[in-house]
Amino acid sequence: MASNQVQSIQDSIKEQFQKSDDVVFKELHTNEKYLEVFYIKTICDEAQMQTYLIKPFYEIISARGFLHYLQSHPKIAQYESKQNTVNEVIQGAAVLFYQENIFLLDTKADKNNSVIDTTVETTILGPQSGFSESLPTNIGLIRNRYPALSLMIESMKVGTISNTSVNLLYDSEKVDLDTVKKVKEFLSSIKIEMFQSGEQLLDFTKKNQRSLFPTLMVTERPDRSAVNLAAGKVIVLVAGSPFAVIMPTVMKDLMASMADIYQTFWIGKFLLLLRYLALVTTITLPGLYVALTSYNPEVFRVQLALSVAGSRHAVPYPSFIEVFLMLIMMELLLEASIRLPKAIGPTATTVGGLILGQAATAAGLVSNIMIIIVSLGAISNFVIPINTFSFAVRISKYFILALSIFFGLVGVIIGLFMLIAYMVSQDSFGKPFLTLKEEN
Amino acid sequence: MVGKNRYFLYLVILNMLTNVIIFVPKYLIQYRFDGLILSMLLATVIGIGLMYLDTIVYARFPGQGLPEILDLGLNKPLKIFVLVGFSFFWFIAGLISLLGYIDILHRIINPELSKVWLLVAFLVVLGFVIQLPTRKVMYLLEIILLLNVPFIGFVFIKALTSDYLNWDSIFEVVTHAATVPKLNPVAIASYVFSGYANIIVFNRLLKEKIKSINFVIIFFVSLLTLFTSVFIPIGMHGSDGVQEYIYPWIMTADSLRLPYSPVERVVFLFLMLYINITLISVSVHWHVAFELMKGVYKSKKSKTNNRLLMAFFFGLSILAVLRFDFMHPELISMYWLIARFFVEIIAIIGFFFFLRRKI
Repeated sequence: MASNQVQSIQDSIKEQFQKSDDVVFKELHTNEKYLEVFYIKTICDEAQMQTYLIKPFYEIISARGFLHYLQSHPKIAQYESKQNTVNEVIQGAAVLFYQENIFLLDTKADKNNSVIDTTVETTILGPQSGFSESLPTNIGLIRNRYPALSLMIESMKVGTISNTSVNLLYDSEKVDLDTVKKVKEFLSSIKIEMFQSGEQLLDFTKKNQRSLFPTLMVTERPDRSAVNLAAGKVIVLVAGSPFAVIMPTVMKDLMASMADIYQTFWIGKFLLLLRYLALVTTITLPGLYVALTSYNPEVFRVQLALSVAGSRHAVPYPSFIEVFLMLIMMELLLEASIRLPKAIGPTATTVGGLILGQAATAAGLVSNIMIIIVSLGAISNFVIPINTFSFAVRISKYFILALSIFFGLVGVIIGLFMLIAYMVSQDSFGKPFLTLKEEN
Repeated sequence: MVGKNRYFLYLVILNMLTNVIIFVPKYLIQYRFDGLILSMLLATVIGIGLMYLDTIVYARFPGQGLPEILDLGLNKPLKIFVLVGFSFFWFIAGLISLLGYIDILHRIINPELSKVWLLVAFLVVLGFVIQLPTRKVMYLLEIILLLNVPFIGFVFIKALTSDYLNWDSIFEVVTHAATVPKLNPVAIASYVFSGYANIIVFNRLLKEKIKSINFVIIFFVSLLTLFTSVFIPIGMHGSDGVQEYIYPWIMTADSLRLPYSPVERVVFLFLMLYINITLISVSVHWHVAFELMKGVYKSKKSKTNNRLLMAFFFGLSILAVLRFDFMHPELISMYWLIARFFVEIIAIIGFFFFLRRKI
């Protein structure tokens, strides 16, 4: 490259970076040679710069020797284009101008690379640490757990401003290549300015298909990611997010907890059964209450029907208003306890759960049985291991409730049927969301 | 063992389950002293024979339904006639079980709720299900059967082991076993087997030849179904008393009691389970009707046409539920059951010769 050309590239790069405080342009001199470095110090790892660049610069005496060093070091790349150089610099690389050459030194600071403990998907046994917020560290975590030659890693960029690095991981021997293609199409179809975390993808599957149930899974567990890799799924890691996204995700993945494989066979099966029981309970209970108190009390045996009716004798309005009142109250409580700072959280639950619940019954606004039903429904909802799915379930119970208001017990059954049909109709990247037995 | 052919098995089993609400036991019971047992045995032979012939025909076209097969080569007016004719037939099949069940629900669970509203609730679900891809309808069928059949089996066992099941009444009917069979009960009883007919669209999912083990399973299960669905009501209500009921099976379920369960009367459990069975049965039939009609028009403007077709289905159903209040729903279903038998025979003979020769 001619020296005037290098000079013009250097000037135009410098020009593109406005005079921020953290932009550094430095000249290094010895008697034999002369080097110019350009970088942004806040996103650069200056310790790396010291070891890879400055030390060798003063240790290697001859100018030719240092050129050889630059050309052969794996962290130093040759100049490709001006746009590429600017992109690299803004992400933490350093540009080196040496003689008639331009090099890029990869000194990106790997910040937030400490591994975080799991907080969303906790298990009693098994690994307790989740991902970190650094992409290379996260890939390292998965590679450690999945040391297979067939593990493929592909890189993409998403987001027009954020230009976030997104890595696709899959086992090339086990994955369905059609799925990989669909995932890539999906990722490149996303039009977004700021892409910060895999959870945003959830929103995008919704906007395309208006689906209620999540068709991709967000997880914070490296062990879950590794297990899913072995099951032939695609993992998407996003730079700066401690969550991995697993695609495709079907119903049975959403109901599986990592605790299942860290238990003996029957305990695992029991826990799974318990979860499905909780799913049915949380969806149908409010609807069943309305249907069985207002429409079809004759379904119960007489003693039970009388005790339910007796519990409701002070309540001055129909059962569905009672149910709505309590459900909304519970939703407010849930939302409040998520948003509140940790120090005040327990107070909200005490005030809401104990005092309001107790007082509402004493005041004759709701029946005792209603309180049991609402809390049982809420607790059952928490049993569902994947958070996004548990939210979807929280909404679907209103659908059943609405049907039960108009059609009684028949409405509950029709609603359940419809819900199952809806789940069956869904697809997740070419895989059916709900089936008994998956076909090949 | 059964492999992918389990799909075929599901279709057949579904019809065995619906026979209880489509008045099959009621009509069969009418012939309990007039050759019922031999008729049922004869129906088994004929039913399985037809089933076998039909599977042979469709095994030649793996993964293809009737609309796709007819596209291969048949003049257009004839193709449209065949598709529309079959489609209408399947629509009626679904409609009869739907109306029958709406009537049951109206009488027993929700007498205050108007039938039309109940029907609309069913139609919303059906409208969603029938337009799904065939594969998805089958997945749904599989799941619904898995969720409901164990409980239905429980009710059957409960009935069989009930103290009030009078075996003497059953034996009384068995003493008439030697009477000559009649055509009507044969035609009606063969309904139990006719689930195979749905293969004309669901053959899209059947890519391998159906193994003979399926027919063995079907043979035993169908015999069991036929005999239990007729003889349990006879044993429960007595060989004379049983003819008093329009819905012998619902009354039978209502005479059962679960002393230790919060839901004491079995009839509620039974009806809840059969809501699902009816919904999926009508879905399967109407899906077939829908897909056949879709075979008539293709490509252009199909979305509008689909909607029109759906509106036609729904409009006709609502009209039917309004009009049938003044008639006997059970009579219509009897004529249909008998007519179905002959149409099925003609259709299969037609398929057998036509589809082999022409294409």
